[in-house]
Amino acid sequence: MLSVKGLKANVGDKEILRGLDLEVAPGEVHAIMGPNGSGKSTFAHVLSGREGYEVTAGSAMLDGTDLFELDPEERARLGLFLAFQYPVELPGVNNMYFLKAALNAIRKSRGEDEFDAVSFMRLMKEKLKVLHLDDSLLKRPVNFGFSGGEKKRNEIFQMAMLEPKLAILDETDSGLDIDALRIVADGVNALRSPERSMIVVTHYQRLLDYIEPDYVHVLAKGQIIRSGGKELALELEEKGYGWIVDGEAA
Amino acid sequence: MSAAANSSRQQTEAAEAFAGWLQGLSGGAAIDAASSGTAQDWLAAERQQAAERVRAQAVPTGKSESWRYTGLRSLIDQGFVQVDEPLTALTPDDIEEVLVPGLDAHRAVLVNGRYSEALSDLGTLPRGVRVGSLQRMIESDPDALQGVLTRIAGEGSHLFASLNTAAMQDGLVLLLERGALLERPIEVIHLSVGMEEPRVAQPRHLISLGDGAQAQVIERYVSLGDALYCTNSVLELSLGRDALLKHARVQQESPNAFHITGLYLSQDANSHYAGVNIGLGGTWARTDLVTRFSGEHAECDLQGLYLAGDKQLIDYHMDVRHGLPNCTSRERFKGILYGKGRAVFDGLVYVARDAQKTDAAMSNRNLILSANAEVDTKPQLEIYADDVKCSHGTTVGQIEPEMLFYLRSRGISASLARRMLCLGFAGEIIEALGPEALRDYVTEQVGERLERAPLD
Repeated sequence: MLSVKGLKANVGDKEILRGLDLEVAPGEVHAIMGPNGSGKSTFAHVLSGREGYEVTAGSAMLDGTDLFELDPEERARLGLFLAFQYPVELPGVNNMYFLKAALNAIRKSRGEDEFDAVSFMRLMKEKLKVLHLDDSLLKRPVNFGFSGGEKKRNEIFQMAMLEPKLAILDETDSGLDIDALRIVADGVNALRSPERSMIVVTHYQRLLDYIEPDYVHVLAKGQIIRSGGKELALELEEKGYGWIVDGEAA
Repeated sequence: MSAAANSSRQQTEAAEAFAGWLQGLSGGAAIDAASSGTAQDWLAAERQQAAERVRAQAVPTGKSESWRYTGLRSLIDQGFVQVDEPLTALTPDDIEEVLVPGLDAHRAVLVNGRYSEALSDLGTLPRGVRVGSLQRMIESDPDALQGVLTRIAGEGSHLFASLNTAAMQDGLVLLLERGALLERPIEVIHLSVGMEEPRVAQPRHLISLGDGAQAQVIERYVSLGDALYCTNSVLELSLGRDALLKHARVQQESPNAFHITGLYLSQDANSHYAGVNIGLGGTWARTDLVTRFSGEHAECDLQGLYLAGDKQLIDYHMDVRHGLPNCTSRERFKGILYGKGRAVFDGLVYVARDAQKTDAAMSNRNLILSANAEVDTKPQLEIYADDVKCSHGTTVGQIEPEMLFYLRSRGISASLARRMLCLGFAGEIIEALGPEALRDYVTEQVGERLERAPLD
């Protein structure tokens, strides 16, 4: 599904990603862990096409299509979804109108019919329930005045609506209390399927108790320096990042 | 000849050209009026004085503060002439294209500044409500107008209002007696149609609400085609004690239109005025909103949205004078500028020494979509009382890249994302327009303009 090879990227003059390789097969959940400043969020942003990053080497192919040739909206239409660490508030932009515009843009690009109002409503209500979100959220401006937990749940709600092939969850656990974390994780787990892959970017092991990964990778100084199964996350929790990162440097 | 002398000579020439132009527009009509009838002696005298004020007035130049960003040269250069023939050839089918789908309202239509009985569809008006032609009323019942018409604008009104007083022929009159209630809105369509030569219309409108009367008025300035013309209109509004007026104004004229409106509002005690101004059309549009309070505890709420693109200048001037205690005023204007569009916002709130407990807030926020667009914004508070609550704020910004990326990351194209963010910015003003049919219509009009807007 996703094949990243030798990826290098800069922010300004600074090289953040220094030759990153990652292969994700359909249905797999990969966790990317690492200390602050290791390049985790940069990796998520570069894949989704955010401005301000310069890819200097390497490639990222999603089902054989070069992501770096595409605008952010084209990547989304291809099935890429980024759940933001800091969801953006859009004052005056109605949540329901926003979702409808997004869903129809994606459906249209796949040659599918736009949703009619009734089936769209039905789909929304069903997905809202999974994330314990209130209907009233639909009438509010996107993320505007939402609590931290509501924002994160709204991200996963959007993911549920847009049904991506590959979802990247960027620090989705940050700022969530344990109840909110459980709801978000339930929402994510409900979306796991043999066709859908996920990359879960996180600093802490805590999230992985709820979203169990197939693989865990440790990112440090812009490279993946260790990969393993879910037990690697437990080891990191116990020992911290120092032993791997320093070991690599030695 | 030195450059300075040359420039001074040019300025003198421009001033002379302008003075001649003004007299051409005001002189004839005023003299005609002065020599006709006896019932309107008071009006004839007002017009004569207005014509004299026009002749005596210094010609505004770039140095005159209120015209600093809005040059008059392009207006004068068109050689507009006043045409006094009413245009009667239109049928209701012809105006179909300018109607708001699904808007339920009493409808009054004016064509090139003249009230049209044939196109108006007033339906059944409630008791105590009169709607009709100003010219008719001057002929048939001038007493009903005395002490109101021309008095609200007053002698201190600006040049174009004086010009209008001298030259006015017709316009709309809406009178609500004390306690009258207009539940259905009344829509006033100001339709302009191009003529062979560039013409100016100078309609005069009067809306007067007696004590406790309530109404909702929707004024729309529209054109058939891309005609070049000028409208110099004055609207006088009088609100009695406890009266309530909701007033939506949508200017969506031809891209070649020159538009001047002077709106003069007089509010008695406890009255409430809620005005929403939408400025979308024209190549040169100047609106002056002037408010005076004649009783305490009155509230004046002015909101606005303007959109200016290539070859467009949209200018809103506000002058709210708190001369009495305990009144409230609000100005909230938002602008979206694209292409080479230009806008001017100039808001003055004046609080006299005796106007204690005044509550005034003014804000102007602008979204600039291109490097070539410009807005000149000048909120001003002049406060001479010491126990007041007054504030003002101005912002000029661009679309946040973060917001744009968020929308695009969900599959939404960059151009639609931009449009959604602009409509989100404009939304709270459009919401204030009232009837849903009108809100939807204006949202669509704004969306269409943004869709055609160049990205830089």
